[in-house]
Amino acid sequence: MAQPVQSKNALPLASSIPEGAASLESILCTEELQQRPSRPPDHAKENIALVALASALAESRQTILEMLAETILRVTDADSSGLSLLTSDGATPDAEGQRFYWPAIKGMWKEHVGGGTPRNFGPCGDVLDRNCTLLFRHFERRYPYLLPVSPAAEECLLVPFHVQGKAVGTIWAMLHSDRRRFDSEDQRLMIVLGQFASLAYQTLGTIDDLKSEINAREKAEARLRELARVEVGVILDGLEAQVRTGEEFHRVVVETASDAVVSIDHRGDILRANHATTTTFGYEPSELIGQPLTILMPEYLRDLHKAGLKRYQETSHRHMNWQSTELIGLRKNGEEFPIEISFGEITNNGHRVFTGFIRDISGRKQAEEALRSSQAQLSRAIQTATVGEFAAAIAHEVNQPLAAVVTNGQACLRWLAAQPAGLAKAQEAAERIVRDGKEAGEVVRRIRALFKQAAVEKIELDLNEVIGEVLHLLNEETTRRRVTVETDLGQDLAPVAGDRVQLQQLVFNLLLNAIEAMDSAVDRPKKLFICSKRPSPETVLVEVQDSGSGLKDPERIFDAFFTTKDNGMGMGLAICRSIIDAHHGRLWAASGEGVGTTFSFTLPVRA
Amino acid sequence: MNSDSPVVFVVDDDHRVRDALSSLISSVGLRVAVFGSASEFLECEKPDAPACLVLDLQLPGASGLELQQQLLAGDTPPIVFISGHGDIPSSVRAIKAGAIEFLPKPFDDQELLRAIHAAIDQDRIARQKRSELAELKRRYNLLTPREREVLPFVVAGFANKQTGADLGTSEITIGVHRGQIMRKMAAKSLAELVRMADKLGITRAAGTA
Repeated sequence: MAQPVQSKNALPLASSIPEGAASLESILCTEELQQRPSRPPDHAKENIALVALASALAESRQTILEMLAETILRVTDADSSGLSLLTSDGATPDAEGQRFYWPAIKGMWKEHVGGGTPRNFGPCGDVLDRNCTLLFRHFERRYPYLLPVSPAAEECLLVPFHVQGKAVGTIWAMLHSDRRRFDSEDQRLMIVLGQFASLAYQTLGTIDDLKSEINAREKAEARLRELARVEVGVILDGLEAQVRTGEEFHRVVVETASDAVVSIDHRGDILRANHATTTTFGYEPSELIGQPLTILMPEYLRDLHKAGLKRYQETSHRHMNWQSTELIGLRKNGEEFPIEISFGEITNNGHRVFTGFIRDISGRKQAEEALRSSQAQLSRAIQTATVGEFAAAIAHEVNQPLAAVVTNGQACLRWLAAQPAGLAKAQEAAERIVRDGKEAGEVVRRIRALFKQAAVEKIELDLNEVIGEVLHLLNEETTRRRVTVETDLGQDLAPVAGDRVQLQQLVFNLLLNAIEAMDSAVDRPKKLFICSKRPSPETVLVEVQDSGSGLKDPERIFDAFFTTKDNGMGMGLAICRSIIDAHHGRLWAASGEGVGTTFSFTLPVRA
Repeated sequence: MNSDSPVVFVVDDDHRVRDALSSLISSVGLRVAVFGSASEFLECEKPDAPACLVLDLQLPGASGLELQQQLLAGDTPPIVFISGHGDIPSSVRAIKAGAIEFLPKPFDDQELLRAIHAAIDQDRIARQKRSELAELKRRYNLLTPREREVLPFVVAGFANKQTGADLGTSEITIGVHRGQIMRKMAAKSLAELVRMADKLGITRAAGTA
């Protein structure tokens, strides 16, 4: 059975009747019940109430005592109702310290739930001693410790109930005014409910044991869950109050956790830190204790943290997610790194303690970045493939009618040259030439229309950013081909107005071109040098320099279909030039035998 | 134009190209049959005449190369490939698989016609070989099982006496078989019979002597 409840509702343990207290007889008026006019029994209402109680007992045992109190209140039309149960500590009923406690109260006294009275010094004890129904009037006259329990009880009707011949508790109904008085019908009802109560008690004896067992198990499981889910876990410092083994387990888990676990006090100073903080932040736990938590975060987050902690303690408003929030951490060596933090709060001896689980997610971030980059590469590959397929489709579309025109022309000539001339056949062939020629023209017109739709969308762009993105895309290519990349990107570049995709394409083509130009270089290091600068306030200049064998004919290279490569279409640089033209820039190449080639382009600074 | 005159099959999914090729090829007096797909071509009944297949590389459904692979199994006319954008790997594959020529569109009429004629000539020779072989097979089928046993010994140059010993019969019986073989195979000499046996893929007997 439950332990005596120590709460604000607990009444003093005084167990002797004070001097001048009213006698028991003077506060009892049980006999009056028989004389009072009584209402007729309402069996229907009673039945309904009992059936409801019985089914509640079968279905929702946890709340059965509440239900019982509720039923008493309803059927007796009382102001307050409840139960008093003797604590089952195995002692004899009159043993010192044994008490009644109130597990369920309804009505006006409901806030006193959990309170109780001494076994031998109170109305309940009187009822058990006499083993009969008693009606009290103003019992506080004899039991002054009930004085502060308000509102005062005008009348209180108590019925004992027994289990296996032993009285173990009472049920009671109370009136706090003289709006009505209990009568014999109430007494009858209470006796009926008393029988019910003993039934409930027997069941609950088992239930309570079960409950406390379940409760303990739930707590243990909850703790295990918290500890197991370290990434989102919140360690409750209140575990100190728990059994020793649990604490030991807690300690072991926290110490062996791969995540850093740091507890701070209300000022933000570190109280505890586990060993994982060494691998995560580079600090030994002993170095951290007593330090402000801000030591683990970059400068620009410190004020935010301080303000947040202060605001939370003043308003209890959480301005951020306490589970799995991504932030930036600061290592002892000054390195910033992405972290994921989950934290919780507990109050320990009136002091607030915040405990955070901090995980280094730079690995995960890198993986995410790699995924993004490979997705970008994939989309680039698809784009390239699409361009290739598109070109092939165009070629086919134009080539088919062209082939037909040529063949028809040749057939026409042969029919005319034949002896005798096949004039009708020649005419048919000539008609087909006209038809197919027109179709080829139509194909060309359609393609033009298609390209016109792809209008350039110009936005403000940082060319260094574009270069960075493209270098990132080509990272694998340069590594694979053992090309060293050097950059000198000017920090004073002004933004240009351009289409991001087109300018990416421009830089991509120039870089890929340079990388490929060095393929044959075996006698010297392959070096790709990219620089950006601002030669005049109105211009941004980008240079791409390779260490290839140089160009023989720097002027021709921008012509469409001019290529020095075995598998090249000769379109790359022609596309670059058209992009530059669309952006009102200039593109040129300078080359020297044995010193490689430098491609340069300028773009106007955004006005 | 009799039923023996050569025929050119054209398979191309583009009707403009089909029309033009049909006109060009017929202008030099060749029979033409055009098809829009590989399956159309496979399903049609072909005349028993020397032929050539002008095949587009890019076809809907089974591609030209796939059709070529399918045709390799049977007695197929030689193929002249035409292609809208002939890539080198495809042309290599086509030629390796026995194509006469691989012409990118647009092609020169003389080149195409030269290839077609070469293909027809090749097919004519192949057809000749095939019909000769068919005739030999017909004659070989006239031989009795015992004569077919004797034949490898005859073409290996064994004397009747030795053949008789090897096959467990008399020299005279072998002599009779030999006469029947020469007559049924219509061989004028032993040398001719040997050539026929080679064409039929008959292995000469090793004998015990």
